[in-house]
Amino acid sequence: MSYTITPNFRGWRAVIVHRQSENVERLVRQLSRLGMDCEQVWPKLSQLSDADVVFFDGDNGFDGLFPWPEGHAPVPMVALLGSEAPGRLEWALRQGVSAHLLKPIGSGGVFSTLVIAVANFTQQQMLAHEIAELKTKARLRPKVVRAILSVMQSQSLDEDAAYAFIRSEAMQRRQSVEALCESDFFNQPHTRRHKRV
Amino acid sequence: MTISIPIGLLFSVSGTDKRIGIDALDGALMALEEVNADPSFEFELTPIIRDPGDSLSLFHKFADEMMGELGCRQVIGTVTSSSRKEVIPVVEKHDALLWYCCPYEGFESCENVIYIGSTPSLHMVPLFEYVIPRFGANAYIAGSNYIWGWETSRVARELITACNGSVVGDRFIPLGSEDIGRLIEEIEAKRPDFVLNNLIGNSSYAFFDAYQKLGQRNPAFLPENTPIVSCNIAECEIDSIGVKALTGHFTTAVYFENQSNAENQEMIAAVRARYGLSRRCSNYLVSNYTAVKMLAAAIRDTGSDKVSDVRPNLLARRFQTALGPLKIDKLTNHAALRPGVGRFDGENGFEIVAVADELVEADPYFVHFDARDFAKGLSAKGATQQQHLKVVK
Repeated sequence: MSYTITPNFRGWRAVIVHRQSENVERLVRQLSRLGMDCEQVWPKLSQLSDADVVFFDGDNGFDGLFPWPEGHAPVPMVALLGSEAPGRLEWALRQGVSAHLLKPIGSGGVFSTLVIAVANFTQQQMLAHEIAELKTKARLRPKVVRAILSVMQSQSLDEDAAYAFIRSEAMQRRQSVEALCESDFFNQPHTRRHKRV
Repeated sequence: MTISIPIGLLFSVSGTDKRIGIDALDGALMALEEVNADPSFEFELTPIIRDPGDSLSLFHKFADEMMGELGCRQVIGTVTSSSRKEVIPVVEKHDALLWYCCPYEGFESCENVIYIGSTPSLHMVPLFEYVIPRFGANAYIAGSNYIWGWETSRVARELITACNGSVVGDRFIPLGSEDIGRLIEEIEAKRPDFVLNNLIGNSSYAFFDAYQKLGQRNPAFLPENTPIVSCNIAECEIDSIGVKALTGHFTTAVYFENQSNAENQEMIAAVRARYGLSRRCSNYLVSNYTAVKMLAAAIRDTGSDKVSDVRPNLLARRFQTALGPLKIDKLTNHAALRPGVGRFDGENGFEIVAVADELVEADPYFVHFDARDFAKGLSAKGATQQQHLKVVK
């Protein structure tokens, strides 16, 4: 049995992008039970201010509803869905939903949806960050190859030893191998001074 | 002609949890008869009783029958969380009200339920406040293999870890199983400071019996050295567990028969008059009795048994009950109660060793609780001045 910390949303702020309705009232009531503050806006969210999560109307939402480029929400997005028409689901998906809640909204389901939305969003953010890093690494690959060749030549090392040398220089400077290679550090004459004996 | 109002009483009185079910039903029926005999109530409550046994689908079916064709707008019942979860969609569908009067694992707040039972902030937290400073923070957890066992164990683990203790072992066994030999072997090998019992029904009773034998064989496991602590053991289970096997062990509850409030003295007298001198009062009997009395008072006030009339009336009141003072929180629909800890003292029943000074609000989602603060509170204040509990012995 794995050990988890009880999720706690005390002091969180939710923005609910939905026209005022009984569904919204029930959602607000349930979110207050979780210790959260809520703001309801419609028909447009002009700025997010300090919200931690957005609930939005998947049935009546439209392009331009949010002040960020499609799919780039800075916080978890929860779609409130009544209609299951594929066109509506497609629109909701394009907003980058982390979870959804079916209308009519009841007292059950809000807590679990929030826990799942936050977990999914955190996971998505982590993956996006990792992918960006890997993309940078891939882009800088030619620079690394060039640096290896340069070190091999200047210090008469084989390929593996040259890479080990570069890696250790990068670690000493607390930089990634790619960033150090990009700086042309290994193409400068002073690197010769670091030649190992 | 007196108006008759049907009240559903949905308890398993033949399944694995039947001792609790019987006690709960008896409490509700007793209150119902008192209301019907009291001329100040200008209506009659008609009990509609169903026993689903251990069948979860029968809970759903009977609930639907009660609230559908039989017209019950108010249902008192269910003991296990699995059965409550079966009934909730039905009360929502019929916009009726379920009165749930048992300790449970929390993380629920349904508009169509009034919760008289405690959630972990009112059972596990006060229990650990008492137990950890006295015995240590290393626990073995035994649980029944369903939501109560799993979730209460998870909460326990979170608290124990925050207190720098460790769960030296945990094991979950199927509902109703009495196969607890492995548990006892593990406990003896792992030497915890205390054993948290999240078992229910026969499994729990078999466990107490086997643990007593372990203590006879190895004094390290006598209750004064390594007690069993529980969140759900009550007076109605004493005969099933056996006085000797239970003596010295701890349980937390929002009611003990030994509490001294005047309403409880009247309650005990009434229960003995009705069910015999040897009948004990338990949290389950008294909570369900209290639920019916609260409901009757709200119906008398509003002249209606509709949820939309009864609920606001309930939320606006404070009740003096055999449980003690009680009010229902507007936001969560849960009762604020006074949790306590009892140490079983043989024929004298549970000796109350600690009790909350005043009503403690329910916190079903643990919104206002932080396990690290709980741990800090324990280490800073020591064993005698806790956050919630006033030690009385």
